[in-house]
Amino acid sequence: MLTREEGEEEQEEEEEAKGRRRAFSINDNVDLLAEILGRLDGRSLAVAGCVCRLWNALGRRDSVWEAVCHRHVAGGGSSAAGGGCSTRSVVAALGGYRRLYRLCIGPALDRLAGSAGGRGSTTTTAAAAAAHHLSLSLSLSLFSIDCYERLGGRQQPPASLLFLCKPVDVS
Amino acid sequence: MSSSFRSDVGTDPCDSVGDDRWWMASASDRGSSRGEIDGLLQGAGYRVRSTDLRHVAIGLEQLESAMVGDQCAASSAEAVVHYNPSDLTAWVDSMLSGLAPDPNLLRHPQSTATANAWADPTRQRPSSLHRLENHQQHRNVPAVSLQSMEEEEDAAIRLVHLLVSCADSVQRGDSEMAGSLLDQARLALARVNTGFGIGKVAGYFVDALCRRLYPPPLCGGGSAANPEILYHHFYEACPYIKFAHFTANQAILEAFQGHDRVHVVDFNLMHGLQWPALIQALALRPGGPPLLRLTGIGPPSPDGRDALREVGLRLAELARSVQVRFAFRGVAATRLEHVRPWMFQVAPGEAVAVNTVLQLHRLLGDRASPEGGDAAAAEPIDTVLAWVVGLKPKIVTVVEQEADHNKPSFLDRFTEALFYYSTMFDSLEGGSHRSGGHQTQQQQTVVAAVAEAYLQREMCNVVCCEGAARVERHEPLARWRDRLGRAGLRAVHLGSNAFKQASMLLTLFSGEGYCVEEVDGCLTLGWHSRPLISASAWRADDDASPPRDHQTLLVLQDHSSSVVDGDDHLQPAA
Repeated sequence: MLTREEGEEEQEEEEEAKGRRRAFSINDNVDLLAEILGRLDGRSLAVAGCVCRLWNALGRRDSVWEAVCHRHVAGGGSSAAGGGCSTRSVVAALGGYRRLYRLCIGPALDRLAGSAGGRGSTTTTAAAAAAHHLSLSLSLSLFSIDCYERLGGRQQPPASLLFLCKPVDVS
Repeated sequence: MSSSFRSDVGTDPCDSVGDDRWWMASASDRGSSRGEIDGLLQGAGYRVRSTDLRHVAIGLEQLESAMVGDQCAASSAEAVVHYNPSDLTAWVDSMLSGLAPDPNLLRHPQSTATANAWADPTRQRPSSLHRLENHQQHRNVPAVSLQSMEEEEDAAIRLVHLLVSCADSVQRGDSEMAGSLLDQARLALARVNTGFGIGKVAGYFVDALCRRLYPPPLCGGGSAANPEILYHHFYEACPYIKFAHFTANQAILEAFQGHDRVHVVDFNLMHGLQWPALIQALALRPGGPPLLRLTGIGPPSPDGRDALREVGLRLAELARSVQVRFAFRGVAATRLEHVRPWMFQVAPGEAVAVNTVLQLHRLLGDRASPEGGDAAAAEPIDTVLAWVVGLKPKIVTVVEQEADHNKPSFLDRFTEALFYYSTMFDSLEGGSHRSGGHQTQQQQTVVAAVAEAYLQREMCNVVCCEGAARVERHEPLARWRDRLGRAGLRAVHLGSNAFKQASMLLTLFSGEGYCVEEVDGCLTLGWHSRPLISASAWRADDDASPPRDHQTLLVLQDHSSSVVDGDDHLQPAA
């Protein structure tokens, strides 16, 4: 009798465990979540950062933005280990990938998509970037100029990237 | 023959037979027979009888006003078949008959006034100015809806004409005539929109001519505006300087491949905006960054603070953050020809790059003869180029305005400057039609306005100053090629990477209007197919004979190398 009860309890536990395995939560697998979020485009990733604290924290991880940047830019697809490390350190010194995307790559992609016919969907943005070969090196150059302007505390706000400001759509 | 064409045009009561007879009479006075083909037009490929010239002229003018004033007329004209355009008379008539016959156009009472102006070359006409006025009267009546635009166009054309005539009188030394023309120009300015376009440019040129005729008591025209601030706003408002920097950096980067110690000499440091991108690119180059030394030349700061050193410190901070070994030296000099190569302390074994953005033209002098005699007195440019070559640089990047503002004749310079700067101002306006957020909109207008002030200052120097005061002596790329070639430099092709980068930069910047072109290994950036700025790269020719003071240079280098060995530290050198 005791063994049967134990067996039943074990069975229930097993079923519960199975149930838990079936109710998979992505929030338990942060690395997987980061991998997925890194495949979004910039705007969607920023929106994803508004879901919950965990997603917000992930949305601030520079490695996630690094994946986003490399995905949207020609010449940054598969970075070799050595090259990737030095690029990472340089970008980190200049302000990080998240900032790089916000200041340089994002507006540039918007500008390119706008000039490519005004299609607003995200997939064509990536296609437009590939078609125009927006290079990582050009974005980094612009980023470095902006970073340099912020050094030294000048009175005027840095304006070298003003030309990338996307037009305000008031329609 | 002409009478049959007259019937096509329509019976004009004012177009009396008397005029016709008078015209034929004057033609026979000049001795030409009735059916003779006009020689000048024949040279251009058109066969027009000299007796029909007046008729063709009237017809062309009517055609022009009809096509400009009426859109649907142009489309209906496509349905008409025209034969043999070299027979200009028949062509004009068939075009006119193809358009909807407009009574206003065809029977214009004032057309005879213009026709008379053309018909009689022997009658005294003081200047083409009056012809332009007649032209303007004729244009006043048709196409009522576009009347104001045409008037404004004509007023603008007249204004340009006045400016050129004024410049001509200035060149001849006739200051009275120049003064009166200038007054007329000011009056004409009132009828043109001076907010944009040709009106704005003309306004600036009127001011410049005024300043030349009546120099202000404070000499030099030195405005209170800091040239660095003007330059910075010009940098932001349009892509010319950015294009220059990026192209030069690309060339320097490629030339520095494989070298561990590199030295860049910048002829005009300003805020040092060119160098962060180079520092970052060197940090990321395969094989690791080299030891970078930067020597920046600039004017001495008026208020005692060391502006060059401040820029150097900022660059050093940036370099430190990306882990590039960096050393800076500032050389303060009022004029570039006062600089000597020993001030750079080039170490042996260093790869040297010389970077001049819009600086070399300041070293030129007056051109002696139209062909530019090369045996003239040694100009500062020759001295400077000699020691540049003596440094044995791996690359010399030269960026210059693509214009000829150093012609010996003032009128030529003036007309060139008029076209060049109107294109520049057009590009500023064309580029500034990007809208941004609230603050950035204001910022952008301010930036654009200050950029215009920068251009205005440059333009004033071209127009108003002479002799040593005139520093904006722009010369086109072809002349620079000759000059640099004679000095012992060989051209380096800029490569497709630079071209792609420049194109991408322009697409980002505003897209429409700007165009990058490659000319024989050099890149030019222009507005609507008019090149405005050119970037080229050069290297020291290995077979070039050493300059005269080469021996002295060697001695000096030995001397400086001992200093550098002990001095090779990582923080910026003052």
